[in-house]
Formats: sequence, structure tokens, C-alpha cells
Amino acid sequence: MSDKLKEVINKQSAQKGESLDQSDDIVQLVGFIIGEEEYAIPILSIQEIIKPFPWTRVPQVPKYVMGVFNLRGAVIPLIDLRLKFGISEKKHNDETRFIVMKDGDDVAGFVIDRLTMAIRIKKTNIGPAPDTINGDNTMIDGVGKQEDRIITILKVNKLLERDF
Amino acid sequence: MDEFQEILQDFLVESFELVEKLDEDLVELEATPEDLELLNGIFRVAHTVKGASSFLNFDVLTHLTHHMEDVLNKARHGELIITPNIMDVVLESIDLMKQLLYVIRDTSADAGVDVAACVARLDEVSGGDGNVPTPEASAPVIEEVAPVVEAATPVEAEDELDYDNMSDDDVEAEIQRLLNERQVEDKAKREAKIAAGEDVPAPPPSPEDVAKQEAKEPEAPAPAAAPVPVTPTPAPAKAEDVRDDAKAAAPAKRAAATVEQTIRVDVKRLDHLMNLIGELVLAKNRLIKINDDVEERYEGEEFLEELNQVVSIVSLVTTDLQIAVMKTRMLPIGKVFNKFPRMIRDLTRELNKKIELEIDGEETELDKSIVEEIGDPLVHIIRNSCDHGIETPDIRLAAGKDETGTISLKAYNEGNQIVIQIDDDGKGLDAQMLKNKALEKALISEKEADNMSDKEAFGLIMKPGFSTAVAVTNVSGRGVGMDVVKTNIEKVNGIIDIESEKGQGSSIRLKIPLTLAIIQALLVGVQEEYYAIPLSSVLETVRISKDEIYTVEGRSVMRLRDEVLSLVHIGDIFEVERILDSSEHAYVVVLGLGAQKLGLIVDSLVGQEEIVIKSLGEYLKGIEGVAGATIRGDGGVTLIVDVVAIMDMAKSVKATAMISDQNGDGAGTKEKTKASDYTIMIVDDSKTDRMIMRKSLEATGMILVEAADGQEALNVLKQGDHNFDAMLIDIEMPRMDGYTLATEIKKYNRYKNMPLIAVTSRTGKSDRMRGVESGMVEYITKPYSADYLSSVVQRNVNFKSEFLS
Repeated sequence: MSDKLKEVINKQSAQKGESLDQSDDIVQLVGFIIGEEEYAIPILSIQEIIKPFPWTRVPQVPKYVMGVFNLRGAVIPLIDLRLKFGISEKKHNDETRFIVMKDGDDVAGFVIDRLTMAIRIKKTNIGPAPDTINGDNTMIDGVGKQEDRIITILKVNKLLERDF
Repeated sequence: MDEFQEILQDFLVESFELVEKLDEDLVELEATPEDLELLNGIFRVAHTVKGASSFLNFDVLTHLTHHMEDVLNKARHGELIITPNIMDVVLESIDLMKQLLYVIRDTSADAGVDVAACVARLDEVSGGDGNVPTPEASAPVIEEVAPVVEAATPVEAEDELDYDNMSDDDVEAEIQRLLNERQVEDKAKREAKIAAGEDVPAPPPSPEDVAKQEAKEPEAPAPAAAPVPVTPTPAPAKAEDVRDDAKAAAPAKRAAATVEQTIRVDVKRLDHLMNLIGELVLAKNRLIKINDDVEERYEGEEFLEELNQVVSIVSLVTTDLQIAVMKTRMLPIGKVFNKFPRMIRDLTRELNKKIELEIDGEETELDKSIVEEIGDPLVHIIRNSCDHGIETPDIRLAAGKDETGTISLKAYNEGNQIVIQIDDDGKGLDAQMLKNKALEKALISEKEADNMSDKEAFGLIMKPGFSTAVAVTNVSGRGVGMDVVKTNIEKVNGIIDIESEKGQGSSIRLKIPLTLAIIQALLVGVQEEYYAIPLSSVLETVRISKDEIYTVEGRSVMRLRDEVLSLVHIGDIFEVERILDSSEHAYVVVLGLGAQKLGLIVDSLVGQEEIVIKSLGEYLKGIEGVAGATIRGDGGVTLIVDVVAIMDMAKSVKATAMISDQNGDGAGTKEKTKASDYTIMIVDDSKTDRMIMRKSLEATGMILVEAADGQEALNVLKQGDHNFDAMLIDIEMPRMDGYTLATEIKKYNRYKNMPLIAVTSRTGKSDRMRGVESGMVEYITKPYSADYLSSVVQRNVNFKSEFLS
């Protein structure tokens, strides 16, 4: 096995648990906007980002579960993060995207208002979630500080968890 | 010890197969004790298991099977008549044997089962006369001797030896010794049999072939020998070929001769294959749809024919492939049926009844996963029939029936389903009694009982907690069994149908789909959504008009021939938002599930399609009324209706869908305070015409939205960005003309009352008539003056003149 391959495998196994990059103290995130706020999730928990396409409504679910859609033969739930975060509904536009996130076998699509950028951030620049929203149930993993902005980092496993 | 494990696995698989067959044979034997063929077969099973288990050092098992073999051997030679009592002992020993096999499977050792008592009884049965069997006929002379030799040496020796404390060398030496013994025995026996001209069955992975090699490396040749028992195909009587040729090549040669007919495949691989086929079916559906579209668009083009051919070949091959793969997963239902003769026998003795079991159609094939699911339900149904159905002999005689009751178990194909039918000629079900019992146990209300048909009353036996048995017996009466039946059968999308005539017997039919993954479905539409209903639950579809629906106690019902059918709107079950105005007519899909029937009202019927069931995944599991989803030809997802759940949900759902609601026009009624509160849509394919209209209306200050044709206009409406107060519509437009557009718009509750104004150069009277028919309120002919257009619009939207600036 070549050293490079080894390195890749090591990297991947290191990244499995948490979102570490090649050097331990850098985290790669993808930032996006929902409502007014910027959020981010680890780049490795993203399966793909796609433009909106038709979905099928599913009955008897909370309003933020928009339904299911067909991702190359797999039926995947679609969740509107605006509604999930208690922000009013908004029509999809050219910037709207579905982020397909995965955590183990769980996969779901999330509707976001628009993407911002891929973010590399030092671990030391990530603070814990504010005390007021701490606890096991929070969807917030931490708060990243970068230059003049603050990015809320979300827990993908919490987002993919069924809470109804 | 991997090789040992491998041998062990094969041994277990073979043994379980043999034992399954054994049960059936033994019961049959009891009926025909003289059947030599049968006896020989049974003897061979005991012998095979014994041979293999001694090879694998399972002493307890060897000990037990050896004594069984003794008894059977005697019976085989007519020295012992199989009486029910002897049969009891033999059956008991077989149970023990099974138990041992389970223990071996779980722990790889045969400790922990006490066989002493049973062995003693077996011994008693066979040992009554201690004589060495005397030769009677000429042929079996030597054959007679063989088992005796066996009996003399290995068992006793094994019993004495303590293998645990042996060194490896000693064990090897011991194995070698035992092998040699067995080799001699087997050879002697085989020769005897050949001499007698008998068919020699495939020998167990007996040491005979491998013995010589064994001396060098005890375990190596075993895997080579192991595949032999894999095939149930009996080896032809060619033992001579192999007999003396005990070199290393011998086992392999033999294996090749018998094994090539079948191979064992991991079920996971088949499942994977089935999933892939599922994908293929979806792709095929999609291809067909695209083909249809292309056909429409390029009608008459030459390449179409070629495309058509390819599409039909692909679709044909896919279907064949699907059937072929499905067949690889099929098992004969006999696998389940086999255990019943034994069960009935035990039950008859336990219950002191005389019952005969007739089995028919055991070769009928079903998907493996379904075969696994229906075993338990059938056990419960048959136990029930024995316990509650068939009466005791004296009652039967008193009723003028044959003393012996009959239970018949039948399996047959019916269309896309397998029907398993269990009939008994017992006392039948008493609908009134069932109702009373259910009332007593508060499972149903007084009112429900009154409205219940006999068939529905029979269905009560499936309710959890329901039992008609006066006393709880060992056999049944706890009120759980039939509930299990229902759950398990429903799990495989099956249907239970009970028929019964008091005093004459009852008949339970289980209708089960051939396979679980791909089903035929009826696609229905409601508003703008589609749902798939498994076709196996659809009895019929009926087109009705709204005034055929009556309301009884808050529930919708209709008359279907001489029945009253309760109705539920699919929109009420799935919380479908009612955007479109429901038309005067609707379709009722009559769903049937056993005795239960329900009419499901839908807006439209789309057609029948083969669908692949996909799960909704962990996140959305357990949604009531939804059994899963499928991907349609157009790539969209369609939900599959869970008919069982819907039947239940229908009871609590409030009917709203058929009541026309008045909220439709609420959207546009917001108080208008300024000119820009009014929004008008202009639909015209000519840019100039749109400009002229815009110019005419601009002065009023109303918001103007433009669309270039009917389709675009409809899309704008659907998006709901604006609340339109009126529309100006040109008649002649590409894609969708003005009349069609108007008709479409009128379907939406929200826009039902919106004024539609036709602006056209068509002036014929018939044109005007069509305009009115499609819902236009005004008809402006081109050319027109700007003022006129403006005033017509203002009038129709109640525009207040003070807004004019």
C-alpha cells in the first residue's frame, strides 16, 4: 500500500468521528444562510448539494418535513430548515439549494436559502454553544468566529434525528 | 478449526433437511407399517445422521441415533410391528435428536440433553428379543449383519472414552481407529446391499472414501467430502466405481458427479440481485414513459418503430429477468407443510380426537421470506382447527358424521397470488356465539354487534384477546394465536378470508402475494397528488356522482348493488389540501381485506402499474396509512397506500372532502384601499397585444402581470405570488388556448370566482358560447378602445373611482 493511500485512509478514519482536516486543528465547513443567520456544517457530512427539484408531500408529519424526493433511485426525506428553525416559509428561488447530508445510514435533504462558501476554520476559533442553549438537545455544535462574523455550526446527527 | 466448522455446517444443514422429511415419513409409516420403502428411507436418515455425528465426535447424538437405528432396523425386517406406542418412543427420540442438533448448532457440542431415558425405552422396544436376527430371505443376509457389527463396537467404545483428556495424538489415533471400524462396516453393508440389488442411497460423508487420506492429515479431506450431502439428489447405485478407489481423487470425483445440479447461494446475494432488478424495473417504467412522449411528439417518424422495438424488448427482458430472479428465491410451500402431519398426529393423541390431514399442492412455490413468515400462522390455524373445529369422535358420530375428522391443507396459484386454504369438517363457526363472546369481553359494542354480518363476525376470531374455547388447553384457548395469524399475514400483504357453515365445518383462505418487493398497483389521483394502491386489495372501481353518497351517522356511505359500502375520501386520510374544486363525479376504489370492505373516494384513476416498493427510511418510518414509496416513470416519488391501516383510519376520519367548502373565495376579499391592491393578469401570445392592454390599464394604477400563453399563466397562478382580481385572456394561443385555460382555472377553489375576460378577434356566436361555457364573464373583441377595456376591467373588479389619481 502506498504511503499516500495510507495517509488518505488515516485521514478518513480520523475524520469519521469529527470534522478534522489533515492538520488536526483545522476544520472544513460549508456555510449557508437560513433567514438572516449564517450556519455551517462539516463538509464531510455533505453527500451532495443540488438545485431544487420536485418532491412528494408526505402526510401526518410536521410542517417542516416537506416530503420525500428521488435521489437517483433512493427515496429521501426533504426538510425545510427555515420552518424547522421557526422562520416563515419562503418561495424557492435561484439561490435555493438542497443539501443532502448523511450520518451513517441516515440521509436527508435540507432546504437552505443560499450557500455562502467553504470555510476553513481553526479549532481554537470555535467556541462552545452559548450556555443558554446548552444541553443534550441542542442542534448547535459550536460557534465559529472568523474575522468579523460568527457562524453557528450545526450537529448533523441532530438534524437527521427524527423529533416528532 | 475452520475446516471442522465447515464440515459441521454442512452436517447441520443436511441433518435438518433429513429430519424435516423424517417427521412426515414417520407419520405416514404409522398408517402403513408395512411400507418397506418408507421404512428403509427412515432407517437411512437415522443411519446417515449417526454416521456423520460419530465422525464429528458427537457421542450423545451417536448414541441416540444408534438406538433409533436399532429399532428401525428391526421394524424393517418385520421383527417389530410399529404400534402407536412404539411410534411415540421413536418420535420422542426424533425430537431429542432435533434438540441435540439445535444444541450443536448453537454451541458446536452435543452436551446438555439427557437422552438416557429415551435410549432406555428404545432399547426396551428393540431389545425384547436379544437374538441376533436370523437370516430369512437370501438376499439380505449380509445386510443383517452389518448393523450388529456397528452396534457392537463403536458405541460402547465411545461411551468409555474420555476425549477431553486425550492428547491430540491420542485423538487422532482414536479417530483413525473409529474410521477404520466404520470403513469396514460400511463396506460390508454396501456390498451386502449391492448384492441384494437394492438402491444404495448417497452415503453420508462417510469415512470410507476418505479413510486412507485421513491417516495422513485427519481433517483435510473432509471438506471435499462435505459437499456430497448438499444435493438431495440420490446418488445412483454406482458405489462399486468408487468403492475400492479410495485415493485422494475419489471424493472429488464423486462430488463432481452429484453436485453440479445445484449450488448453495447466500440469500444476501439474491436479495441484492432482487434490489438491482427493482432498479431496472423502475428504469424500464421510465423508458416506457419517455417512449410514449417521444411517440406523441414525433408521430410518423421512421426511427420511432426502431425505438419501439428496443423499448419493448427491454421491457420484455426485464419482466422475464424479474420472474427468473424471483424464482431463484422461491421455495416450495411443502417445506412448511411437512411439519403438519406430525403435529396433527401429536394433537390427535393429546386431544383424543381422530383427525386426518390431507395435503395438496405442496409443490406450490413462494418467496423465501414469505415461506418463513407463514409457518407460524399456519401452525395456529391448524391447532385451532384441531382444538375448536373438529369434534370428539362421539360427538361426531352423534351428529351423523364420520368418526374421523378431516383437515385439508391446500396451496394453489390464483393469478398473482398464492392461496393457502385450510378446510375442516368440524363444527364450524357460530356467528351469534362469536358476537356474544366478543360482547362479553368488551371487544365490540352492542351496536357494532347488531350491524355485523356473519363474515365480519367470523373475523372476530382474529381479534387479540378473543377465544371461544371454554377452557384454556395446552393446545389453544389463550386468545393470542389467531391474532398472530392476522399480524403475520398482514405483514406479507396477505389477506385472510374465513367462511364457515355451522355444523359443516369452516374454511380459512390465506391469499398471499408471490413476492414482496415488486407489486402491481392501481394509481389514483387526488387533487394534484398521486397514490399507489396495491392491486391485490382492490376489488373493483366504480364511478359515482356526488348525490349517490349518503351520510349515515356522520359517515359517508353508498349503495353498491345490494350492499351498503362505507366511504372515506383519500384526501381526508392524507390531509390533502383542496386546491382544485372537486368535480361532480368521483371514483370509488372498493378495497377488500378479508371480510372488511371500504370504499376509497378518489378524484381520478390513473391506471395499473408495476411498482417497486421502497422504504421511506428511518426518518419517516411509521407514518400511518403509508406502506412505503415507489419511484414512477417520470422520476417522481409516489406513496403506497397501506390498505390495512386505512381500514382502521377510516373509522376515525371525519368526512369533509365531499362537503363543498366556501373558503375558496376568501383569498381575494381583502379590503382594497388603493389602486395597487388590485392585480390583473394579461395572457396573450402577442407582445404587441400585451403592450396595448398594459397601456390601456396602466393609468388605473393596478398591478399588471403578463403571461405569454395558457400554460405559463397557469404556472403563475399555481405559484401563488399574487392574488389576482381578474384576468384578460386571449383565445388563440400556443400550448394552451384561452378556453382550456379558463376551464383549468375554474377547477381551483381559490380562483373559482375570479372574473375571466376574453380579449379576442374571434367574433362568431359559437366562439362566444364556448367562452361562456368555459367560464368567461366578458367578451371583448379586438380592436377595442383603451377606455372600453379599462372600464370593463374596473367594473368586474369593483374598482373604486376614488383610487384613480
